[in-house]
Amino acid sequence: MQQPLHIDTTQRESDWVYIADRREMARPRPLLPVSIDGRPYVLFKDEEGELGLIGRHCPHRGADLCFGRLEDNGIRCPFHGWHFDRTGQCREQPAEPVGSTMAQAIKVPMVPLREKQGRIYAYVGEETL
Amino acid sequence: MISQKLSDQLTRIGPGSDAGTVLRQYWQPAALTDELESGSPVPVNLLGERLALIADDAGSWRLVTRKATTDELPSRHPREVIVDVNGPEYPIHQMRGIVFAYLGVGEVPVFPKFDCFRAPDTHVFAFKGLWECNWLQALEIGIDPAHASFLHRFLEDEDPDDGYGKQFRDKAANTDIPLTKILRDYPRPEITVDETDYGLKITALRHMDQALTHVRVTNAIFPEAICIPMSREMTITQWHVPVDDEHCYWYTMFTSFDQPVNKALMREQRLMEHALPEYRPLKNKDNNYCYDPEEQKTLTYTGMGLDINVHDQWAVEMMGSIQDRTREHLGRSDVAIIRNRRMLRKAIRAVNEGNYAALPMQTAAAAEIVGPLSNDTIAATDDWESASHNADMERRHSCAWEATV
Repeated sequence: MQQPLHIDTTQRESDWVYIADRREMARPRPLLPVSIDGRPYVLFKDEEGELGLIGRHCPHRGADLCFGRLEDNGIRCPFHGWHFDRTGQCREQPAEPVGSTMAQAIKVPMVPLREKQGRIYAYVGEETL
Repeated sequence: MISQKLSDQLTRIGPGSDAGTVLRQYWQPAALTDELESGSPVPVNLLGERLALIADDAGSWRLVTRKATTDELPSRHPREVIVDVNGPEYPIHQMRGIVFAYLGVGEVPVFPKFDCFRAPDTHVFAFKGLWECNWLQALEIGIDPAHASFLHRFLEDEDPDDGYGKQFRDKAANTDIPLTKILRDYPRPEITVDETDYGLKITALRHMDQALTHVRVTNAIFPEAICIPMSREMTITQWHVPVDDEHCYWYTMFTSFDQPVNKALMREQRLMEHALPEYRPLKNKDNNYCYDPEEQKTLTYTGMGLDINVHDQWAVEMMGSIQDRTREHLGRSDVAIIRNRRMLRKAIRAVNEGNYAALPMQTAAAAEIVGPLSNDTIAATDDWESASHNADMERRHSCAWEATV
């Protein structure tokens, strides 16, 4: 795994901070570890070509999603198969009993993104967008 | 999720700590007998204490305290051993390839008649490996029957006849189905947990087609070991021994119910994957566990090779040196983890009240505990319970050593 991109927002001029160029995600496995003020995230591209920047550790037992499987239009934790979409919402917990609704209540932190001229910016302001 | 205070109580093991006081009441693996062959002294880092095994003139070994500088890494052997004559000395006992130590108060406890202790030396092989994380998360992956369907998933099955000495590579009992296929095809086990005199019996049922059920019985042996099947021939008894709060060793006894263990092959397989003298895995966080995204697409779920020990090591080390349990979300499949923490909390309360006899296996009666039963079976769904029991009895009755329970 690559060293994370370290983003320091303490000296920022805007609540949208530059994190990477879009072309960085044109790799066979489009995923990058990102650290924002020391908090760990994973940046990945889903099958619709959209980017997600979500918490790096699986909310189940803390496994590292940077080693996750990019499949089913999201990222899947290799520990127990929990699957997350680009908003950080948990979509599947394949070891939990049939009919379990636990996944609906599980969401990892998500940082909003926008792209401008091939550059990716993350929203780090206090307000909810 | 649990509070930080409770997490600290359950995980931290230094002298005087809550969990540390409980663990000290049990024999702890301190070194492999293999390690004594390099001669005295042998450094031992155990439960946050810096110790060493030293041989006296008569050739018998003692476990003594040694002096360590504050910057000495707990996961590395020191350059030299300086005995601290004012520090405590602890009783040791060699069993089946492991030097056990007792760091607790009162009389040393008895050894239960677990299969790994009852089997003769010819049928038990011991090895160890360093994991750079807290002992409790290392233990908890071993009492989590669901993870094997994901973390250890092979996208293709190997030939089970090449599986000697490897976990999950055998055919499932009485069938030609590779166990890896059953784990892959049925990822949603029904898990039940029963409290026993040694800890927990964990039963994972995978209901298959044609009214068949795969039954896997594993165990938590209080406070820090597991006993699980490895193949039809062998079981694994594995301790997760704290070095300090942020490092631990797994010590495993591989116990054969059939042929004597091919120790040369078992040792060679494992020495190829570890660096001595610390037994640090060659695949580790410094090299990303040799993660290969292409392999992850086509061959294994993790992209970290076929050795399932590496998958487990990745899962537990990358949680952080002590898993942040204030952020976890345990599910139904984590039922054994929840029950085990409850047992540990109960034991902590008992030692805090000075009631040491209330801990599991602390009285003379523990010497009569046998087993535990530990196996994989495929049975008719309406008869799984007795079929699982009978399969274990059958193995025990045809065993070369006294394995009846």
